[in-house]
Amino acid sequence: MTISSFLRRSLLQSGIAAGTALAIAPDVIAEPKAPAWTLGYTTPPAKGLGPSTMRLVSGKAPAGLEGALYRNGPAQFRYGDAYASHWFDGDGMVQRIAFADGKALHTGRFVGTTKRKAEQAAQKFLAPGFSTAGDPSYAVGSADDVNAANTSVAMSGGEMLALWEAGSAIRLDPVTLETRGPKIWRKDLAAMPFLAHPKREPDGRLWNLAVASLSTGGSMIGIYRIGAGGELEDFGMVDIGAPAYIHDWSMTERKLIILVQPWINTGARPGIGGFEWRPQEGLKTLIVDKDDLKKQRWAQADARAFYHTGAGWEESDGTIRLDVCFTRQPAFGVGGGAAEIRGEYKPGGEGPGAMLTQMVIPPKGDVRLIETKLDGEFPQVDPRFHGLPRRLTALVGGGAPGHPGATTLRLQDWKSGKSQAYDYGVDYMVEEHLFIPKPGGASERDSWLIGTAINLAAGKSEVSVFDAADIEEGPLATWQADYSWPLGFHGTWT
Amino acid sequence: MPLPILSPILSPIIAALAPIPALVLAAAIFLPQPAVAEARAKLALTVTGIKDAKGALMIAVFDQAGYDTDKAVAQAAVPVTATTVSTTIDLPPGRYGIKMFHDVDGDGKMGANPFGIPIEPYGFSNNAPAQFGPATWAAAAFDVAAPATSHAIALN
Repeated sequence: MTISSFLRRSLLQSGIAAGTALAIAPDVIAEPKAPAWTLGYTTPPAKGLGPSTMRLVSGKAPAGLEGALYRNGPAQFRYGDAYASHWFDGDGMVQRIAFADGKALHTGRFVGTTKRKAEQAAQKFLAPGFSTAGDPSYAVGSADDVNAANTSVAMSGGEMLALWEAGSAIRLDPVTLETRGPKIWRKDLAAMPFLAHPKREPDGRLWNLAVASLSTGGSMIGIYRIGAGGELEDFGMVDIGAPAYIHDWSMTERKLIILVQPWINTGARPGIGGFEWRPQEGLKTLIVDKDDLKKQRWAQADARAFYHTGAGWEESDGTIRLDVCFTRQPAFGVGGGAAEIRGEYKPGGEGPGAMLTQMVIPPKGDVRLIETKLDGEFPQVDPRFHGLPRRLTALVGGGAPGHPGATTLRLQDWKSGKSQAYDYGVDYMVEEHLFIPKPGGASERDSWLIGTAINLAAGKSEVSVFDAADIEEGPLATWQADYSWPLGFHGTWT
Repeated sequence: MPLPILSPILSPIIAALAPIPALVLAAAIFLPQPAVAEARAKLALTVTGIKDAKGALMIAVFDQAGYDTDKAVAQAAVPVTATTVSTTIDLPPGRYGIKMFHDVDGDGKMGANPFGIPIEPYGFSNNAPAQFGPATWAAAAFDVAAPATSHAIALN
């Protein structure tokens, strides 16, 4: 799949297709020919979707599958004739699919951010966005006034947190998805950014970063250490030497691994346009001791750009391995996600997509990159092994010529060097798939993989569960909603 | 994968307001003394939207020349004992802009998080919106006429 599939998926909104017509303002219904893939970028009703039971359309619900899948993604793409300036600007909508007694119940709710409340009241876009200055009447005193809370979710302290990357986490009721307000981890940390990629140790402790380059500027990184009960245990700061773009990071059992890609915020222009690609500086990696943030070392690699990592682990001699979906250079910031808003999808518009790669960081010396030939994004690992030696990474890749998005689930086995794939087919847009440990299981293969997709032929959103022991057998079970919801980014299982 | 908000943006609010307290903590109101008698106007200022009835409002009044360089023509530290506070400031008649914050914890500084983002309430005349920093002069400027002018500001 090309990067454009992921990063240029437009906000195309004229989107109308069977099944969602009722959800859309009447003026839109005059455009009946929008292709089915635009369902991925169609604004749902402001009040949300569901709760609504999803129908089991194939297979049989696995015994013991009890819990809920939560996902987040941009969902408000237009007001009247006006489009969001970029896909990434859309207000976050959290989808919850609860599984119990073999049934799947879907609920989708917008996150009630400051931005959303103001824009819903005005019925127009007000806040500055990815490539727009915003309405001068709209007050921006901190990044939270622009916070779209649209990137991921994490459970902490009994609350579901809707995450962005430049502002606070937003607290939600984990069942109703009602918005409660910004998470303040400690009084003096109000309005601190909370990255959309917190990392959880198997015992429940959560780590995350606050990245200055995305909000106030500068090279400082804040580090949150949050107990399994949701209380802030510690907050520290490290200097990564440059205001690099950081969307994700990695960790082992004892180390934080911060990849400083040479994509640097010069401040010359607002937004992503201010970031400059400096390949001559290479990819620098800062390795920080979790027990003492002052204990640091650096490792150097050839220049690569990335959004997402899987997870890392440390071997007995101190060698660190982690998986990353790398591209040779940054893959957005050239208009993707904006040009397509109007329904213009150009396959391959941004060149080769991300490739699953293992970084090998020796105790001393330069980094070695082991490149697989697996294209894809949204890498995921078994949460029981986060930070520990493991062999599996799931990701989604592939793609279809006629529409954006992934079509194929992949599962890489680092130990055997082999991978498996399940191709949903060209009539699907496939989203991130997560590991769910089977009750009583011990190994990574004792897992289910769960993920959502839009079935373009049916015009409906679906959720499927696979056996990680053999994904090529296809889904064990698939449930289909009575409607579709927009494509999202990341999720969590709880 | 959203939006890097760029920004040498937020800290200017602090840059604008932090110097005030050091100058005025003791003084209720500080005024430049005119060399010769001139007309005076009373600015009756009402501040609403106060969440915590404690600490002090730190108020700085600027003319156009001083607005962006933070050279105030008048400053005040007004104790907060209710959720609405009124005060009066004497000024030569003219056009002014106000920047203020609520020093809730009484430490004399505008509280900020480790990245410099304000965490104590603030406000501008005309309730002008912050724009990745202080409100602009154009949005905050208002006329103070003799003998008296009323103005209200709601904290953010």
